[in-house]
Amino acid sequence: MNFDHIDIIQSTIDGVLFGSIYALIGLGFTLIFGAMHKLNMAYAASGIAGAYTGLMSLTILGMPVLMAFIIGPVTAGLIGLLLYFACFRFMPRGNQLAPLMASIGALFFIDELIIHETSGSPMSFPAVLPDAYFFLGEFGIRGDLLMVMGFSFILMAIVMLLLYRTKLGLGTRATSQQPVAALLCGIPTHRTNGTTFVLAGVLGGFAGCLLAASVGVLSPLLVLPLTIKGLIVTVIGGLGSIRGAIIAGFAVGAAEGVFLLVRGVNERDIYVFLLLFLFLVFRPNGLFGTTINRD
Amino acid sequence: MKYIARNILISSMSALLLTSGAAVAETEINIAGWGAKSGPLRSFGINSEAVMSAAVERVNQMGGVKLADGSMAKLTYNYSDSACNAEQAIAVARKEAADGKSLIGIGPTCSGAAAAMYGVFQKQVDDTSDTGLQYPILTDTAVRNGLAKISQWTFRNTPNEPEMYDRLWAWVAANHPDLKTIYGGTETDQGHSNGTYSKVIVQAATRHGFNWATGAIEGLTGDIASGYKEVLNNSSNWLQADTSFSVQARAFRRSKADIFIISSHPFTTCGMLKELARQRVEPKLIIGLTSSSSAEVMKGCAAEAEGMIIPTSFAPITEAAAEVAALANANGGDADLHSAAAWENVMIIKQVIENVGITGDPAMIQQERRKVRDGLEALTETNGLLGKITRVQDEGEALKPYVFVQAQGGSWNVIHDPR
Repeated sequence: MNFDHIDIIQSTIDGVLFGSIYALIGLGFTLIFGAMHKLNMAYAASGIAGAYTGLMSLTILGMPVLMAFIIGPVTAGLIGLLLYFACFRFMPRGNQLAPLMASIGALFFIDELIIHETSGSPMSFPAVLPDAYFFLGEFGIRGDLLMVMGFSFILMAIVMLLLYRTKLGLGTRATSQQPVAALLCGIPTHRTNGTTFVLAGVLGGFAGCLLAASVGVLSPLLVLPLTIKGLIVTVIGGLGSIRGAIIAGFAVGAAEGVFLLVRGVNERDIYVFLLLFLFLVFRPNGLFGTTINRD
Repeated sequence: MKYIARNILISSMSALLLTSGAAVAETEINIAGWGAKSGPLRSFGINSEAVMSAAVERVNQMGGVKLADGSMAKLTYNYSDSACNAEQAIAVARKEAADGKSLIGIGPTCSGAAAAMYGVFQKQVDDTSDTGLQYPILTDTAVRNGLAKISQWTFRNTPNEPEMYDRLWAWVAANHPDLKTIYGGTETDQGHSNGTYSKVIVQAATRHGFNWATGAIEGLTGDIASGYKEVLNNSSNWLQADTSFSVQARAFRRSKADIFIISSHPFTTCGMLKELARQRVEPKLIIGLTSSSSAEVMKGCAAEAEGMIIPTSFAPITEAAAEVAALANANGGDADLHSAAAWENVMIIKQVIENVGITGDPAMIQQERRKVRDGLEALTETNGLLGKITRVQDEGEALKPYVFVQAQGGSWNVIHDPR
């Protein structure tokens, strides 16, 4: 493919805009990891499942489009709570592998459930601002992705406010840093963890709905790539770092866009994974991660 | 009175015993079906089984299949999930071949799984040095070009894409003489989409005088597979699970081609079409992959697909095809170019069983499988839902009748019927 600097800038813009969805997914992974130091592998799947529920509210109940963006995240939040109880709450504390494997099982369970209910067929999801495409000179910018980006910033701001300006946030941070000390101080750590799962689930639900709206189609094919991209973003940003997840989301999106243009689709993911590898080897704590010793 | 009542009771019980005895004695011929019933391509298996079930029921309504001794046997089937996964498809094939219950298999729906699965079958019959499976397969759905010749035990009843696209481009050249240039892309991680695009569709277009919009492609002569690597390098491609098509759509727009080729399955076909619409790219014509002439594209992006033309080996345009479509719907599936072949396959199997003379004796299952294989190989022509299907003996493939359909107002309408 022939390209010039205009194409590179355009691909970077596209990638950054689309990266806001990765940032939202990475944020959810980070929230859960920050709270429990555990990875919830079924997180992106619960977000997509939420988006499907939102879509069902439109197609089966005939609700207005906006309801998909309310019902989807709420359902994803509830799935998040369910995942907490099924895969984390009652798992032996000393066995780090158990919740990881349980959440991988939950990922495939949710994925297969969606496939069974939809026969794997892609379903049309109402696009938000489908005709909004702005040409600025030689550049084109998707209005819907701009909206997704703006919406992501709002959600991220809400999460930051919750974490740093509320009692819930204080409890979450305390539980994250010293769970036993937090418990001794009267913080209900299990309830705090459960609430974090719900919060992350709601974020995932928004990400699922926004992704479906920007692609215009909802498919179970979205689950695995979104999970992988979310993990890459979380690692590159620094496990547990909210700021890192946001910046890494945009960076991974941009890198994908540029690699796609420069090296083609068959090599695009190789370079993104290489990026992950380089971070794991040379900067294992990611861009902003810190090493925290737990009890 | 008591005597009469006793006699009636005895007669009824005798009749019941005789009837059940007859049912037990009824010979059954079993067909094994398998396909993707889980995973993202679950609809393949759902549709295939729905059609297969309807066909088996129809055969039994007609009295079943005639055995060598003139008696009639009931046709039965079982359907397994191979999830569009090579290992799973091979496992099911091995199980079916080993347990000796089924006479023949219909599966495994997906091209990738079929390509791998065919590899574990005996390549040449009577080759004692080859311990591969000796079990006949008549595949539906899996379309990727040229698979059946992998083994002499494997046969397919799927569309012949080189023939279809050759005729399609000839038709486009004749009906749209103003259109001269082409540009396209494919999902490179899907064997069928990728192979058909880079080895069949672009070459067929070249044969009929269409030029690549961004300049000549090295090695592309019009022969099948000529310059296929360069075709891919010069195209703007994506992956099966991609969600962003901005870069690709921009390349399409910049090509300024008259005709766009989008060779992918419904999910990314819709993603790409939506992105083209968003970027206000309006080609004069879009040509799609056979597999996208399905209900999924209409469910996912009917408005954006408007005008897209695809060749397909199934459309409910004959009485038989319309009936199969209705029966498939009643069984919870859809009859499309992939699944409708399952109906034809069951009918072909009935025809072969009756031609070669099968006893239905479980002790002779291996000899009878061989007879069925030989019978399939000997077929030169079969009846299909759209007309006569010609068999390509040395390759185990079919030349099926086809039509060209166009997305119009939310459904696929036949715009040309070359039969």
